[in-house]
Amino acid sequence: MIQIIVFLPLLAAIVAGLANRSIGNVPAKVLTTGALFVSCALSWPIFLAFMSGNESAYVQPVMTWVRSGGFDFDWALRVDTLTAVMLVVITSVSALVHLYSWGYMDEDPDQPRFFAYLSLFTFAMLMLVTADNLVQMFFGWEGVGLASYLLIGFWFRKPSASAAAIKAFVVNRVGDLGFMLGIFGVFLVFGTVSIPEILVAAPDQAGSSIGFLGLRVDTMSLLCILLFIGAMGKSAQLGLHTWLPDAMEGPTPVSALIHAATMVTAGVFMVCRLSPLFETSQFALNFVTIVGATTAIFAATIGLVQTDIKRVIAYSTCSQLGYMFFAAGVGAYGAAMFHLFTHAFFKALLFLGAGSVIHAMHHEQDMRFYGGLRKQIPVTFWGMMAGTLAITGVGIVGLGGFAGFYSKDAIIEVAFAADAPYAGYAWFMGVSAALLTSFYSWRLMFLTFWGKPRWADSEHIQHAIHGHHNDVDHATHAHEEAAADNPPAQEDAGSAPHAHAADAEQLPDGTGGYHPHESPLSMLIPLIVLSVGAVFAGFVFHNFFVEPETAGAFWQGSLAFNEPLMHAMHEVPTWVKWSSTAAMLLGLLVAALMYLRETDAPRQVAENLSPLYKFLLNKWYFDELYTLIFVRPAFWFGRIFWKGGDKGVIDRFGPDGVANVVRSSSGLAVRFQSGYLYSYALVMLLGLVGLVTWVMVR
Amino acid sequence: MDYGQSLLITLPEIILSIGGLVLLLVAAWSGAKATRAVSISAVALLVAAGVATLCYTGDAFGALYSGDQFSDFGHVLIYIAAAISLMIAPRFFQRAGLARAEYPILILYACVGMGMMVSATDFLTLYIGLELNSLAAYVLASFLRTDERSAEAGLKYFVLGALASGILLFGMSLVYGFTGSTSFVAVLGSLGGGMETGALFGIVFVLAGLAFKISAVPFHMWTPDVYEGAPTPVTAFFASAPKVAATALTVRVAVDAFGTQTLAWQQIIIFIALASIILGGVAAIGQTNLKRLLAYSSINNIGFLLIGLAAGTQEGISAVLVYLSIYVAMTLGSFACIMQLRGPDGEPREELSDIAGLSQTNKGLALAMAIFMFSLAGIPPLFGFWGKVVVFDAAIGAGLLPLAVIGIAASVIGAFYYIKIVKLMYFDESRTVLQTGDGKALAWIGAIMALLVSPLGYFSIPLLGGFANNAASALF
Amino acid sequence: MIGIEHYLVVSSILFVMGVLGIFLNRKNVIIILMAIELILLAVNINLVAFSSALQDLTGQIFAMFVLTVAAGEAAIGLAILVIYFRGRGTIAVDDVNRMKG
Repeated sequence: MIQIIVFLPLLAAIVAGLANRSIGNVPAKVLTTGALFVSCALSWPIFLAFMSGNESAYVQPVMTWVRSGGFDFDWALRVDTLTAVMLVVITSVSALVHLYSWGYMDEDPDQPRFFAYLSLFTFAMLMLVTADNLVQMFFGWEGVGLASYLLIGFWFRKPSASAAAIKAFVVNRVGDLGFMLGIFGVFLVFGTVSIPEILVAAPDQAGSSIGFLGLRVDTMSLLCILLFIGAMGKSAQLGLHTWLPDAMEGPTPVSALIHAATMVTAGVFMVCRLSPLFETSQFALNFVTIVGATTAIFAATIGLVQTDIKRVIAYSTCSQLGYMFFAAGVGAYGAAMFHLFTHAFFKALLFLGAGSVIHAMHHEQDMRFYGGLRKQIPVTFWGMMAGTLAITGVGIVGLGGFAGFYSKDAIIEVAFAADAPYAGYAWFMGVSAALLTSFYSWRLMFLTFWGKPRWADSEHIQHAIHGHHNDVDHATHAHEEAAADNPPAQEDAGSAPHAHAADAEQLPDGTGGYHPHESPLSMLIPLIVLSVGAVFAGFVFHNFFVEPETAGAFWQGSLAFNEPLMHAMHEVPTWVKWSSTAAMLLGLLVAALMYLRETDAPRQVAENLSPLYKFLLNKWYFDELYTLIFVRPAFWFGRIFWKGGDKGVIDRFGPDGVANVVRSSSGLAVRFQSGYLYSYALVMLLGLVGLVTWVMVR
Repeated sequence: MDYGQSLLITLPEIILSIGGLVLLLVAAWSGAKATRAVSISAVALLVAAGVATLCYTGDAFGALYSGDQFSDFGHVLIYIAAAISLMIAPRFFQRAGLARAEYPILILYACVGMGMMVSATDFLTLYIGLELNSLAAYVLASFLRTDERSAEAGLKYFVLGALASGILLFGMSLVYGFTGSTSFVAVLGSLGGGMETGALFGIVFVLAGLAFKISAVPFHMWTPDVYEGAPTPVTAFFASAPKVAATALTVRVAVDAFGTQTLAWQQIIIFIALASIILGGVAAIGQTNLKRLLAYSSINNIGFLLIGLAAGTQEGISAVLVYLSIYVAMTLGSFACIMQLRGPDGEPREELSDIAGLSQTNKGLALAMAIFMFSLAGIPPLFGFWGKVVVFDAAIGAGLLPLAVIGIAASVIGAFYYIKIVKLMYFDESRTVLQTGDGKALAWIGAIMALLVSPLGYFSIPLLGGFANNAASALF
Repeated sequence: MIGIEHYLVVSSILFVMGVLGIFLNRKNVIIILMAIELILLAVNINLVAFSSALQDLTGQIFAMFVLTVAAGEAAIGLAILVIYFRGRGTIAVDDVNRMKG
């Protein structure tokens, strides 16, 4: 059963990918989507069995992989509660995204390739979460990285998409290096890469130290931090986060599947999977907590000022991943997984909703050109609304609420309750980030769905109005980012129409005569399904994931479940429980004030706080900083090694040198063959004399 | 000693000699008319001789001649190669206006000599066999009497061949003088008890003479010129059957006569092998003539063969025989392909530039040629790869790891020009008007050989390996 | 007393002269044929001398075979030379280099 779940997507990917255009769009789409729905249908029973306690963890061997002395492991699929949670998340979201792509990618000429990539990604992700050893996990880890690269660069004719794909790949490489070193170190220390064996052996190694370059460092801290660097890369944590916003160049379903629900959570999954290992090093846990909490607030601040609808959600994802990490850092792995679970639904929902908006707005992504869409695309609006309510954590303490209310608030509370060294910092950052989350989420909603239409100035809409409909190749929509890169001088949405008063006069309603249409059914169904998840996932599942009495039985030891901590979480003072709700309400109020009432306020705020605003708009200058300290020196070194080392030494004395020697000696040999009898005889005789001399002297 | 038994054991040679004489009379009587009949009879005689060689085994004429399994293997391979050389020839000579009956008869005589070479267990038999083969070969090389290049090829081959024979003979006389016998068994025994300098001289001279026959560096100088000048069917013959005979002979001399002084010749063979591989590869790069290029290719391949001999073990000899069989198939196939290239007036084309863009004009021919080239380069999964594997395996088994490493590295050089031919055929534009295809015989032979060296050839490994092992075991 | 080594010296000198005759001579192919005969003669002296020293007939029989083969070789060599001359009108060694490389 688990083999079918994992390998069916691979099969579909291979068939659709290799047959590509020869089988046509519809068979490829039916095949891949069908495979995913079958996988999904098979995954839920496993998850439900674990929920009801009827199933216990098992390992399904597939085949021998490596037998080399002590280095010995198999391809094997591990199924336990943690895997089961990931299985349903991956297969459900992936199946829905496949379905959604029927509508979203309808005009694309390369659909079989797209669907093959999606299925390939799903396979790699399933491989990652079912891994029984670190090498197999690394296989899945790289597999999702590859698929992510391929999908971000899916519209590879668009230079920005190719650049984003390369950036994602390269930045992930940094993390992967950490992960690899971590795996090497684990093998060095434990002599095995089997995850269960490592977890059993880990406590014995706690407190031991290992020599490295003359330094003595704590073994477990070193290993855990190396592994966590891998997680940081994949999960876009502070420092290695720069690829995630750029990854939005990929088609929106990709963003929903990979960069919201599944791949970016692989880091969280890995930390949870290896939680007993992390539990042996308080230092590593502190590191995780600080990185997570800082990312949560950092990404949220940037999200405040973004104008591209997808980028707002991307930073939001980054921020939410920070929550998950600091939850893990303070020891609440169950809460981290719970937030991962609910986040998958509402964030995928938000992305797919954003995709639906973009679809309706003819590939316009800038929120400043939206407005008033509530009436035009009601299903999308209500879907987005559900997602926003979920992410902002709307709910009433003691009564219930949307998904985020259970999971995010649990994290905030547990951070308060935990006695880990940096838990207080994490709690404060968590609450602050909740406020910001609420603000930017509602800002997105208000700018998009409320107010007056501001579509007339959008180049995309102009395109649509002036009959360039048949221009279907997305790759030619290079001006998409022209709009993003050159925002109007006056910042923020409310002011944009004023800059173009002339247009507004001609078309007083600001629609430019354009009428957005609701997306096709294939896109709406996933929205509806995910909305249900966003609304009810927290309420239904929180008993299993975080409630101290029941969750221990649910997890069955597949992660380090800290029951006393969970008890403590429930004992926090009431004001703490209300704090996140209050933060949410505050954010909502400010957003409503600024974007519904005083639409000129955002511009004034931006002007008054110009340095801060620019700092945030430029994403804390991370890209510029990296260019300065990494990219330029790397290019510089690269040029030295390329011109001096590679061309000057290796090529000159290596391949080119050998080729030259061969070529010139070939000329020599040819000239040697002079055609004269006597020279042939001479050569023979010299050969003879040479041989005789040699045997004699020897 | 049973005289009758000896005659039966030497029956293949007797069949070919008497048959050749009879055919010569027929040819003298009926002139060029009988060419076709003589050719067919010659093939029939080769088949009969092949059957005869398999029927009787044992030593003949007081250990002058041995009909063991090693000689059976050599005989059969030689006869097959000779028969194919006969089959591919008629149209070529017709077009040249020289469809004479002497061609098959000379091939038969050469086969008599080659049969004696692989069966020789005495230096006297060795010499007679070698000269029988050589004398026929000199004439064959200059068979196109009106063609200057053919005459020059014959002349060069003759002069250098005679010099090589002289060196060989001088060596044999020294070996005879210092061991007291010309019989391999006696020489082996005598050398086993120690060796004088004179005998060492003799060994080196003998090996040098034999190296000429297998065209190993530095005694290879005749090869490119003769291959280019000789008529193409004759070149195909030279590249196949005499190579088998000379290699088998060298192996037998090295193991049966000098086997107790392995150290004396092993290093010589190693040097010759490496020099052949490297020079064969390097010089081939500069060639523009396909036949010349294949000449260097044969030098290159001989180097790989000698690596098996250098191992000096039964495994090594078995590897040599396997490699030889594959090599014969590859070479004959390549020549069958080249002979299908003709200009607008039907004249043979043999320049490298002529095959440019062949894949567009004749897909089958280009494919077959590509298979042979990749196989000669030893690229898996083609069968040529297997030959190299067994040879290097034997060398490593005998502890000659550095030799194997250098050999494998040097084989990369060879790969360059083989792949260059494939590149020319598949990626370049044709610049000359070319007719391709020349009768069914060539096409069939090309196709069958291509099939043999294709990955399907691996199915023959148990059979071929078994025969080769049996044959090699006869020497030890 | 003339011993085996004297014969060896003579035959070696003859052999070397024959070999030198092949590649020092740049005039005429006929001279090369003569040089080859010289080499074969050197071998024959060797064989006969060894045969006598070893009190073994094989060497002398071998010498007879060598003589026979030498005759055949000379015949074929001259025949090839004739067709070569017909085609090129010269038998100068320096001209025999239409094929090279």
